[in-house]
Amino acid sequence: MQPEMLNTFQQGDHDLLVKGDSNHIARQEFVKSLKGAIQQQMLPAITTAYYQRALPNYVAENGAPPENYTQARVAFEQDPLFKAYLSINRSSQELQWFSVLDPLEENIDALEQATKNIKPSGGSLSLEPNFEVPKYISSIDIHCMPGGYLGPVGAHPLHAGALYDRGVYLYAMGFMGPLNDDMGRSVVNYLKRKHPDLKPKKILDLGCTVGHSTLPYAELYPDAEVHAIDVSDSCLTYAHHRAESLDMPVHFKQANAESTDYEDGSFDLVVSHILLHETSQKAMPKIFKECHRLLKPGGLMVHADLPPFENMDAYMQLILDNETWYNNEPFWTAMRNIDQIQLSEDAGFNKADVHFDTAPMAIMEFMNAGDAAQNDEPEDREFIAGEYAPGGGWEVLVAQKQSKVA
Amino acid sequence: MSDNTTSNRTIKGKRPSFFDARGVDYLMHMVMVLTQELSVTRDRLDTLEHLIEDKELLKRTDFDRFAPDQACLEEREKNRQALIKNLFSVMDQEAAELVKNDSKERFDEVIAETAKG
Repeated sequence: MQPEMLNTFQQGDHDLLVKGDSNHIARQEFVKSLKGAIQQQMLPAITTAYYQRALPNYVAENGAPPENYTQARVAFEQDPLFKAYLSINRSSQELQWFSVLDPLEENIDALEQATKNIKPSGGSLSLEPNFEVPKYISSIDIHCMPGGYLGPVGAHPLHAGALYDRGVYLYAMGFMGPLNDDMGRSVVNYLKRKHPDLKPKKILDLGCTVGHSTLPYAELYPDAEVHAIDVSDSCLTYAHHRAESLDMPVHFKQANAESTDYEDGSFDLVVSHILLHETSQKAMPKIFKECHRLLKPGGLMVHADLPPFENMDAYMQLILDNETWYNNEPFWTAMRNIDQIQLSEDAGFNKADVHFDTAPMAIMEFMNAGDAAQNDEPEDREFIAGEYAPGGGWEVLVAQKQSKVA
Repeated sequence: MSDNTTSNRTIKGKRPSFFDARGVDYLMHMVMVLTQELSVTRDRLDTLEHLIEDKELLKRTDFDRFAPDQACLEEREKNRQALIKNLFSVMDQEAAELVKNDSKERFDEVIAETAKG
């Protein structure tokens, strides 16, 4: 985004989107503007403070610059500008959810009413009454979203999904597109480019929340049967009605990606989007094994998340590591230190069939239409603190299950 | 138009501390909330100006061309001074204490004496 560009992105409407009056909307617009200013105005100032003030002091005391985020934090944690940045960034996150909560609670009955008038789109919703939610999801409210993915105890079944849908749009400042679907759209674009022969008949999206990334698969692979699972009944309920409102047939089901009850070899394509960093050290290997089990021979596993730390300098790592401590993201940093290639191999994939790549952001390709957006080799990317998706693309781990030996 | 906030805003997960003095943490958040409300008010005024122009009652440039008369000048200045007085009241309190030579010691004495008699 050019510094002089005014961000007037507006979320795409659908029947489930929480509506508000002019003051509700003004509070939400303020949060979107504040988040933009934190990234584009405040973060460059913080970066200057790090390189001009904290780094030389650290080098003077230690004889070498910080090698990782832990050392960078030691170098920077007492800096007054850094403290102000962390504090304002945290408030922006809280105000983001709060600005949606009021109109949501005032209009929740209208949302429920809206679900009754939506025509079926060929999809389905399947919830498990005694479902056991993993501790890594229920222990703290991830992203500081009050009630977390599950919603507050006793809240309306649409509460968490509705809060998440609008809140995420503000968080992304519209850079995920009008339907918050940039990750799914970017991965499909990537697959169509790199795997043009892939004509999936059955697709599974793991940890789908409200289906933001799921719907592009239904739209862009119209011949495929699209399934999506999540642990949150509230998110799934919302996802189902939202998909129907947008006339997309998706089969939503409450299930844990570590262990599902789909049969072996059920899917041609198993994907996840920003799921892995919300799981745990013990869960991740199980999820990889489950992906391998669920894939047909020759099928693809694709996990889109943010890049491992090994590609970044200590300062960039530090800025990202802040999410762990200041945005209730328990697994954010630990996940980036895991060797996912090894994990894939342990799950049964051949090492030669596993690699990291970058799926360029669909919205950036759209905005730069006409430009070649093929610069997607990981080693060519530069990570700049403050970019919504570092490097202008989504990091994808791609693994192909071995075809049956004839 | 919404001015009441009633939601349950509790977040599970300890809120971190940013500054050495906890009060500064509170203050920073309050400044963000106040700025948000200022932004809301400005949007609303902008809506008002647009609506007035749309109804062809006034042009938006009329707002900038408006020259207050003496009575208006006085009223505005009175209101501004009242606002600033409120803003500085916490410092006025300290100045008043200095004038009266009031102190924490006197406060503690009053507490102790009241407890006795």
